[in-house]
Amino acid sequence: MSPEELPPPEDEEDKRLMALVASGDDDALRLLVHRHHVRLVGYLRSEVGSQTTAEELAMEVFIRLHRAAGRWRPEAKLTTYLIHIAHNLVLNEWRRRGRKPTTALDSAPEPGDLSHDSARRVNELDEAFRQAVALLPAEQRTAILLLVQQEMPYEEIAAVMEAPVSSVKTWIHRARTRLRELLKDHYDPA
Amino acid sequence: MNRPMHPPSGHDFDQDLARALASGRDVPCPGFADRAVRAIGADRRRRTLLRWGSGLTTAAACLLAAFVLHGGGDDSLAQRADALAASDESRQLSDILGFADELSLLTPAIDPHSVVEALINPDL
Repeated sequence: MSPEELPPPEDEEDKRLMALVASGDDDALRLLVHRHHVRLVGYLRSEVGSQTTAEELAMEVFIRLHRAAGRWRPEAKLTTYLIHIAHNLVLNEWRRRGRKPTTALDSAPEPGDLSHDSARRVNELDEAFRQAVALLPAEQRTAILLLVQQEMPYEEIAAVMEAPVSSVKTWIHRARTRLRELLKDHYDPA
Repeated sequence: MNRPMHPPSGHDFDQDLARALASGRDVPCPGFADRAVRAIGADRRRRTLLRWGSGLTTAAACLLAAFVLHGGGDDSLAQRADALAASDESRQLSDILGFADELSLLTPAIDPHSVVEALINPDL
């Protein structure tokens, strides 16, 4: 495959699709949603702990993205912009509920192709991690999710959370410390 | 979702954290894109309707204002305004209350103690 035939980088493809969406192209809109919804719902599900709520919020994210398509300027990555909208919706959801979610996720993912015992141990530890993450204060949970799960650099996390990079680093340090405390039984020698 | 997985080491905290969170990173939702496009279409139609409604309301207000302004010198309009003022009960009530206020200004001030003394002492 020659360089001319290589597919455009992810960001360039997002920019191209957003320009088409702004001009009213529904096929481009469908493609854009298809490209990003899996990861977006994953992030929202980790934040709110419910698949149904995560899908509803993701739907709202794409509605808002469509409304802003004409004004959108590709200064940041589209994924960062989407997560930023999603983060604001999560904050609204917590305000609406009057409390922060502290429940575990409603179901665990499939264990993969490990042997039965190994898969069970993986599942148990993963579930313990997810429950511990759900118990973190809001800023710490969001910061650690964006860093570890979404693999965002500190600067992008700061942009999403509208906070200084130093605050993000502090939240992540505290989140790790708190998680180590909560999960010490899994790591301390017997 | 066939992400390569490794048994938990029980010692590498960061590796286990990354694996646990990564397993929830991608959540496929069958049919989500179609539902999202339909929801966005409905939102687009609703906003279009609101824009038209707002435009029509503004146009109606402009027409009404133009009618009132152009009809300002009309005698019939002035007569209707006078008839409206004459039938305005709140205005009549205001007139009565205003008159009552003027009467209260004419009432002499009475010392309550002198009234009590007059009642107790019949010689006064």
